[in-house]
Amino acid sequence: MFDGLVAFGHSIWNFCDPLSLGLVMLSSLVGVVIGALPGLTATMGVALMTTLTINMPSNQALLVLVCTYVGAIYGGSRSAILLNIPGTPASAASCLDGYALAKQGLAGRAMGIATSGSVLGTLIGMFFLALFTPVLGNLALKFGAYEFFWLALFGVIVAGTLTGNDPLKGWIAGLIGIFVATIGQEAIYAYDRFSFGSRDLAGGIQLVPALVGAFGFAELLVAVRERPAPVKINPFDSVIPKFKDVAQYWRTILRSGVIGTFIGILPGVGEDVAAWSSYAAAKRVSKEKEKFGKGSIDGLMAAETGDNACVPGAVIPVLTLAIPGSAPAAVLMAAMLIHGVRPGPMIMVESPAFVYDVVAMMMFATIGILIYGLTLTNLLIKVLMVPKPIILPIIFVLCVVGSYAISQRLFDVWVMLAFGVLGYALRRLHYPVAPLVLGLVLGDLMEKGFRRGLVLSDGDLTPFFVRPISAVLWITIVLVILFKIPLLQRLGRRLTGRAAAPAA
Amino acid sequence: MWAAFGCLMTVLSWQMDRMTSQGATLHTAPGLWPGIIGVVLATLGGMLMVRSWRRAAHIGWDAAQEDETDYAPARSFALAVALFMIYALLLVGRGVPFWLGTAIFVSAFIFVFQVAGRKASGGIARGAIVALACGAVTAAAVTYLFEHVFYVRLP
Repeated sequence: MFDGLVAFGHSIWNFCDPLSLGLVMLSSLVGVVIGALPGLTATMGVALMTTLTINMPSNQALLVLVCTYVGAIYGGSRSAILLNIPGTPASAASCLDGYALAKQGLAGRAMGIATSGSVLGTLIGMFFLALFTPVLGNLALKFGAYEFFWLALFGVIVAGTLTGNDPLKGWIAGLIGIFVATIGQEAIYAYDRFSFGSRDLAGGIQLVPALVGAFGFAELLVAVRERPAPVKINPFDSVIPKFKDVAQYWRTILRSGVIGTFIGILPGVGEDVAAWSSYAAAKRVSKEKEKFGKGSIDGLMAAETGDNACVPGAVIPVLTLAIPGSAPAAVLMAAMLIHGVRPGPMIMVESPAFVYDVVAMMMFATIGILIYGLTLTNLLIKVLMVPKPIILPIIFVLCVVGSYAISQRLFDVWVMLAFGVLGYALRRLHYPVAPLVLGLVLGDLMEKGFRRGLVLSDGDLTPFFVRPISAVLWITIVLVILFKIPLLQRLGRRLTGRAAAPAA
Repeated sequence: MWAAFGCLMTVLSWQMDRMTSQGATLHTAPGLWPGIIGVVLATLGGMLMVRSWRRAAHIGWDAAQEDETDYAPARSFALAVALFMIYALLLVGRGVPFWLGTAIFVSAFIFVFQVAGRKASGGIARGAIVALACGAVTAAAVTYLFEHVFYVRLP
């Protein structure tokens, strides 16, 4: 515990130079602006910033990405409150009460609540990040090929189940991601798969151009296709958070912080589910249920605390298991790999200080969003007023040049375009894109786990099912799938209905 | 569609070299994993297809494909996609200097998508100047940032 605090102190000190502090302020601002602009998501922001930071030292590059991530999740609340349009999917729950408060002339108070909820949520998540990462890291040392196979599959299945309205489409999106990860030379015999004689394809699909396409270009296409909502800003009062709001709703803050962090730890689920779950939990126990959706401070506080607490939560499995907890965390993980950081079970052995570096990055990001939360409202309103035709081509230029900059080859630009079209088509057909990303990121780990496991057991599948951690994982996966089969859902409802009837 | 794609994946995986000359067994063959993914994808795709047919038979194709999104005209979407593709496929890396291609693309995009509004307010010339200025500033800033700050050799 004491060692951890010392390491955390060292990490903070290491970032206390003018350049790092400048990067914190700049990247938090970029994150808040990206998050506030409807149509631009945190995943897109982190993916674009990954391409911009490719030549920076790893710690500074990751500092930029963490600040962008935290800033974007927070920034989404601004357009949710001011325009009733969630800046990112994570802020959809904040629209309900945030905009209702704004219509009552309390937009400033709503933004103050969003700021205090987001700051406290990130701090709670940060606390759990520092507390759980070493523990989970030690547990992860017990994981072998079999467990990693199931864990990666668990991530894709859970993401497919929870991130859209249709689990079947979510699982298909995950499988497409896993398929894309098989393109190129496989690991054992260096055999070219699905490359059709192309040297570029034989090298495999690089993660960052694919992610920039699936989240950057695809979101631009969605923004072009959909008619923009009219921008009408309600007048607002002071944005300084009130101590009374924080003190009165401390239970909501703690509860939502814990829920958000826990949902962040679940592979592939993400901030939007964290916000909605925290909101639902707050409504369930609130004494003012009737106010929810009509300007409830409790509801807004819950949603904003939950989604920001999810950010450090989503980083916990990245660091300990190399399994991302959300789509932006998947991009963050890809960036760590590009910068030579090897997240996974060995991190507490090889570079324990890095874990505390990430905690310190979260803390600096929290300071960044607090500063901008208190000062940036008028600038953000001006940004929200900038017409789409000016923003879209600039972002597209960054998508193109960012994809190119990774390896300086045009093939990556084509990959970005192809994934953009694929991502757009999936969105139009109501497929969630997060499982695709999880499949893409985890496909390689899953295949390696599967084939290594088979090699170790000489083709015997039994160890996949009987080892204790493997058994827990595959049983959970089966239960998650079974609970989503309509026939079994109806059967379950009928059984619980019958059980409730005699009790009544 | 996914069912067909899954089947195609399975067939291609089956046709892959088994690498037996290098001592590979069934469980280390390169096509095993993509083959499994193909089978699962074909199965899920088949389930989705059957479900769509049943839903369409129940409520009709039109109702099954109902979408409440407020879309912009298809023509402006096609124009935007065309501009995106012209920039990415023809202006970048095809001999045109990066800064020039970027300036042309950004200016053209802004001008084309604001021209209707500008025409209505009688400010086409002002719109063109704004578009050119945005294009020039973006091209200069992105080129400087990537070439002189990030040391990327631009296409």
